[in-house]
Formats: sequence, structure tokens, C-alpha cells
Amino acid sequence: MAALFSPRSNRLFRGALLVAAVLVVAIPIGIMVWVRTPAVTGRGRGAKQPIPFDHRIHVTGLRIDCRYCHNTVEREASAGLPATTTCVSCHSALWLSGPLFAPVRRSLATDRPIPWQRVDRLPDFVYFNHAIHLKGGVACESCHGRVDRMAEVRQAAPLTMSWCLDCHRNPEPRRRPAAAVTAMGWHSDPEPDHPVPLSPARRAAITTCTACHR
Amino acid sequence: MSIRRGLLAELDSAGAVAAAADALHALGYRALDTWTPLPLPEVEERLGLRRSRLGPYAFLGGLAGAILGYGIQWYADVWVFPLRVGGRPLHAAPAFIPATFEATVLVAAFVAFLGVFVTLRLPELWHPVFEIDGFERASADRFWIGVGEDDPLFDRRRTREDLAALHPLRIVPVPEPPR
Amino acid sequence: MTAGAAAAIPRERTAGSHPLMVGRPGDATLTDRLLAPLLRAPRGWGWLLLLSGLGALAMFGAMGYTVARGIGVWGNNIPVAWAFAIINFVWWIGIGHAGTFISAFLLLLNQRWRASVNRVAEAMTLFALTNAAMFPLLHLGRPWFFYWLLPYPTRFGIWPQFRSALPWDAAAVATYFTVSLLFWYLGLVPDLASARDRLPGRLRRRIYGVLALGWRGGARQWREYRMGYLLLAGLATPLVISVHSIVSLDFAIAQLPGWHSTIFPPYFVVGAIYSGFAMVLLLVIPIRRLYGLEDLITTRHLDNMAKLLLAMGWLMAYAYIVEAFVAWYGGSLYERYALLVARPLGPYAWLFWLMIACNVLTPQLFWSARLRTRTPVLVGGSLLILAGMWLERFVIIVASLNRDFLPSSWHIYKPTWVDLTILGGSISFFVFLFLLFVRFAPFIPISELRELRHELAGGERAP
Repeated sequence: MAALFSPRSNRLFRGALLVAAVLVVAIPIGIMVWVRTPAVTGRGRGAKQPIPFDHRIHVTGLRIDCRYCHNTVEREASAGLPATTTCVSCHSALWLSGPLFAPVRRSLATDRPIPWQRVDRLPDFVYFNHAIHLKGGVACESCHGRVDRMAEVRQAAPLTMSWCLDCHRNPEPRRRPAAAVTAMGWHSDPEPDHPVPLSPARRAAITTCTACHR
Repeated sequence: MSIRRGLLAELDSAGAVAAAADALHALGYRALDTWTPLPLPEVEERLGLRRSRLGPYAFLGGLAGAILGYGIQWYADVWVFPLRVGGRPLHAAPAFIPATFEATVLVAAFVAFLGVFVTLRLPELWHPVFEIDGFERASADRFWIGVGEDDPLFDRRRTREDLAALHPLRIVPVPEPPR
Repeated sequence: MTAGAAAAIPRERTAGSHPLMVGRPGDATLTDRLLAPLLRAPRGWGWLLLLSGLGALAMFGAMGYTVARGIGVWGNNIPVAWAFAIINFVWWIGIGHAGTFISAFLLLLNQRWRASVNRVAEAMTLFALTNAAMFPLLHLGRPWFFYWLLPYPTRFGIWPQFRSALPWDAAAVATYFTVSLLFWYLGLVPDLASARDRLPGRLRRRIYGVLALGWRGGARQWREYRMGYLLLAGLATPLVISVHSIVSLDFAIAQLPGWHSTIFPPYFVVGAIYSGFAMVLLLVIPIRRLYGLEDLITTRHLDNMAKLLLAMGWLMAYAYIVEAFVAWYGGSLYERYALLVARPLGPYAWLFWLMIACNVLTPQLFWSARLRTRTPVLVGGSLLILAGMWLERFVIIVASLNRDFLPSSWHIYKPTWVDLTILGGSISFFVFLFLLFVRFAPFIPISELRELRHELAGGERAP
């Protein structure tokens, strides 16, 4: 009677074990890499807006400050989307015609806001306040990227918790003078009014769980 | 030490295989191996097998596990995620002992376990001796002893006579592999 | 099978009045007898499997319900935030300890009687741990995030806190399960080779052949194998002590009266081995009867385990006394209240006294040499001890938690039907896994028994 297995089975079985061993290591690593890709984090993703609003024209071309439209950003948790009346304060009759502006006209006529779509979405279990970040010298650009170059707003950051913590654990290099928080493409110089380091208590406060998870 | 070519003799008891190992060793054979259904330490001594090296390897594995285990905890709780809990120091060595111990045992056990198979070059589902008819009984009630062809004293006729002097049930050469 | 042959071995006569092995079966007979259970199931096996499988399904159903609805469907409520899940966890993991104790501890101590029961005990460890591990995961509330217990680079940039006992538990249970599995499998390899070589049917032989990894029983193979096995035993022995110590630290590092006690680690380890031996007896007695293995798992084995139960029972009694004494001697008002008033006289007093009866009084039966070998007594005693050990964890956990520091938040805990289904189902699941094990794996270590037989025969030529 011949042996139960053929000589070839040795190579086959060892090969199968090797493949299994590689998979056991590779699958978790693969998952860890995958959850960090834009496909999962949404980095670079935009949204279909009712009006193809172009930040390049408004920020780079017309040099309008962020706060002109997002006017609650220094006072409230939400940066705020402009009321339609803010739009029409510039967009008079001349710049309000044509099919492109139909949602604005409809909004004015019906007294309902323009249905802008959210691009940067944080989970509900995270408390985020725009005002405190601005007060702390965190610039718009730091999270939202070069909006002045965006024809259509896209999510600039991965918005993962470790991305938040990168700054919360080491905020100083990213802080700016109050005058520069809305500047785009700003470079820090060793200026005398550069923000002072955070106090140890403040540093501890922004890294506790309850700073964001309330 | 694993015989892939040579002559094998089938014996029917542990005592016989011990006597056979003694006799063949006295004749000067060195490329000897036995296949038995139970461990026979005295035969292993006679075959001149070296001491297993698994112990030191497992020790090194345990050491690596301890360093790794403690290192991960230090990295996690002191270096990247320093969180104040109940006023305990960040580097709370006593609190790191349990997981360090577990990591030590885990890695040492893996080294010991895998070490057995790596040093023996297992898994090896097919081996030339499996081609012998009736070799299956080596895992139940038959005791086999063999002389490898690589033994300087090996000579197909003389070795067969030497094996016959042990009064085995039968003597068989390791068959050629199929194909 | 002659009794005279056994009496002729002086070694055994000094070791005890009961023989380790009745008669001296030949190698072939021994191998074939121990492989026979892999070929056909004993009568009633299928029905038992079906029944226990249904019980296990009920458990998984209740677990699914828990996951879908949240752990609010359990009886836990503040201040009794821990209840059945942790009681069952500690109970099952404790039962697992005797497996390692028998296979590793007794191997190092060169106790030859372990040979015929160690595989059953190791399998018991694995299945008990499988059950145990499910409970803390369910108690997490969101079990699908179980991997958050592991230290790996998360996307949220935070790591497990190793200054808390929960990651210790995760490390201990995961290591214990892995090492037990390796130990069990390494022990199985030569027996799987026997199954490969002796069973009929090419497919069956091939399956066991793959699992045996090409074991040939060569001299070098046995040498490395024995060293590997010994090393694993040496590693598993401190491990088994560490695991229940760590489990006990879940309680001991909290400041709750009734938990905050330095006696906890040894107290828990002893309790674990105690309940585990009761479970081994409960498994071994029907097995030797069903498969007719009374000559291999002899009254000597039962006798030894009953003696161990007696010794462990006294250690438990000692722990209970020290716990109460330290509460009085320590002078803390709250400790005194918790251990000397709330426990023996409070709402769960009847469970406390029932536990004392089960754990301290039951083993006293085993002073009698006659009762130590009576299987009905052993089965009954083991059941009482298992119940007693479950009650002990109930008393420690619920009776300590329900009397909070603030009397206004005192709360009587009652389990819900979900709690009870999961507990009952986990016992069914254990039986289910065990039935599969005795059907498909050589549940008595064949090569070790061959070795034992040769040793007992003292070098005499095999018949």
C-alpha cells in the first residue's frame, strides 16, 4: 500500500500554511491601512451643491474675508452659513439673473434658506466649537485647507480622532496671531506677537476625553 | 538524523529496539534512527542525540516577549497616550507587570511550540519511510530501527546481515519515492 | 485483565490501594480501544448533541437579543452594574483552571495518574474559556468593538490603559486560551498519527494525517517533542496561577468593601481549581462509563480527585474565615458592615449560607475512603460544589455591590430571563463542544498511556 500522501503534498501543505500565516498578519494590517484611506475618511470628498458656488472668485478674486459670510464663527459653535440676504447684499439685480441663481431667487421669494449641503461632517458624539478654536489661534485653513483655491468645497482633512489629537496634543506650532486666523497660505515668522504657549492646565484640558466627548 | 534512504528492521517491543540500538551502535553504526509508538529516552541516549535546544530558545522568546510587552505598555501609556488616571503616575511599573507577564509566557510558548516543528522540519506529510507497507504500526505496537545509507559503514549486504542478527520480524529497504 | 498482575507491581502498592491501570493491555489493543470512539458514537450521543445544540442556540439567541436591544435587557442596574455576565465569566474561567492544573502542574510534579484524564481536562479548559470569553465581551455593550482592548495603532489615536484591570484581563484570557490550545494540540499530535495509521477510510485517515503533520515517532522527534511539551507545561503552570489572580484583581483593585482585599488572588486561584476538579469528575465519570474505560480511568483517579476536592474545600473554608477575620480586625466600618452584617444577614444571606454549605460541608464527605470511590456521591458532590462556586461569585459580586456606600441607592438585583437563558445556554454549549470533542479527537492520550503501561510493566517484554 502506498503512502497516504504523495511527495508533492509536502510542498503544497507548507505553502498553504505559509499563505495562511501571511494572511493572518496581512489582513489586519490591510484593514488598518484601508480605514485611513480617503475612501473611508472622506478626505477630498465634495458634495452636490444647489449652486456651484466658487470660493476662488470670492476669496482670491474679491478678497472677501471668511467672516463676512460665516459670520458666527467667532461667537458660536457653528461657523454659520450666510443668510440669503448676505448674498444679495452684493448680488444685486444684475448678478442675480440667469438659471445659476435660481435657488437664490427662490429662497428670497419663499423666505426659505438655500439648501447647502454639508461637506465636513463630525459625528454627533463629538462636541466641536468653532469660536474657541479661533480664539485659540487655530486658522480656518488648518482644518478646511486652501478654500481660496477650491472651485467646489471639498473635505480637506481626514477628520479622524487622531488627526484632531495631533493638534490638541501639540497645539503651539499651529497657533497664529488673532489677525491671521482667516488668512490663507499664511507662513509664521518669528514675530513678537506670536501666541504664547498654552498653560499646562489648558493643555491638559484640551486632551481630556470630556473636552470633546461631553 | 532523519533517514531517507537505508535499511529498516521491524521489531516487536521496546526492549528489543533498545537492545538493537545498543548492538548496532557497538558495531560502529552512527546514522541510526528509531520509530516507536512511545518515547524511549534510553534509546535516544544510545543514538547520541544532542540535547534539545528548545529551552534556551524559549527563554529568549520569553525575554523578547517581556521587553515587547513592557515596551508596548510604556509606549502606549507613557509616550503616546499619557492620561492621568486616579492620580497614578504615568509610568506605573507595578500596573504594567500583569500584561508583561502574559506577553512573556505567550511569546515563550509560541517559540516552544513552533520550535518543535521547525527543528523537526514538520509538517512533512510525506516521508520515504511512509512508503513501507506496514510502517503504520510504528504508531501503535511496532518498533522500527534503521541504518541510513549515509553511514560510512553502510553496506547493503553486510548491514542486512547485522540487522538480521537482531532477529527482527522483517527487514525492508526504504523504497524509492513514487514517480 | 488480571488483578494479580497489578498487585505484582510494588510501585503501585505504595502509591495507593487502587491501581492506576487495571490489567496490562497490549500496545495494539490499547491503541485500538482508545481510537474506537472516533469510529462510532455511543448510544444517545446524537440526542445529547441535538439537545445541547438547541440549548446553545437558545444562548446565541439571547445573546443576539442582548446585542440588538442593549444590555438593558439584563437585570444589571446601578449600583449592581456587574452581575451575571461577570459571575459567569469568573465561574467558567475558574473551571478551566483544573485542566491546566492536571496537565501541566501534575506533569511537573511527575504525577503519573494525570495521564488518562489530562486530555479531557485540557479540552474542558478550552471550552470553558470559550464560554468565559464571551461574557466580558457582551458586557462591553458593543461587542463588535472587542478589538479596542488590544494595543494597536488606532485611527483615533488612543491606547488601552494598562493601569486598569480590563486590559490585564484581556491579556490574561487571550494568552491562557492560546497557550492552552498549543499545549493541547502538541499533546494530540502523536495520537493523531495513531488515528491516521490505524483508522479505516482513506478520507478519515487523510484528515487525521494532515492534523498529525507527518508525525513518525522518530527518536529525534520524541526528544524535541518531550522538551517542547515540558516547556509548555512549565509555562502554563505559572500562567494558570496568574490568570485567576488577574481576574481577582478586577475586584481587589476596586475600593468596594467585600472586594478590596489582599487575599483575593490566592483565594480565587484555589476556588478556580476547586470548581475545575468538580467539573473534571463530572465529565470523567460518564465518559468512563459510556466508553467502558473503567480499567484506564480507575477508581484511583476518582479517589485522587476527591482528595484534591477535600483539600481545596478546606482552603476555601480558610479563605472565607480570613476574609471575615480581616474585615473585623481591619477596623473599617464599611468592611465590617459588608462582610459581617450584609453578607451573612442581608438580603442575599440565604445564598451565602447555601454557598457555605455547598463549598465547605460537601467536601467533608470525602474524608470517607468508601465515598471517594462511589460515583453517585462524586457526581452529586461535584454538582453541589459547582453550584457553590457559582454562588460564591454571586455573593462576592452582587451582595457587595447592592449595598452601596449610600443606603439611598441600595438595590435588590434580580436576573431577567435573558440572564438565565444565557447561563443555561452556556452550560449547553459547553456540553455541545465536549460531545464533539469526544467524538472526533482521541480524548485519552494514547501515547502517554502506552508509556504508562510500559513503565508499570517495568521493562517486561510486551505481551
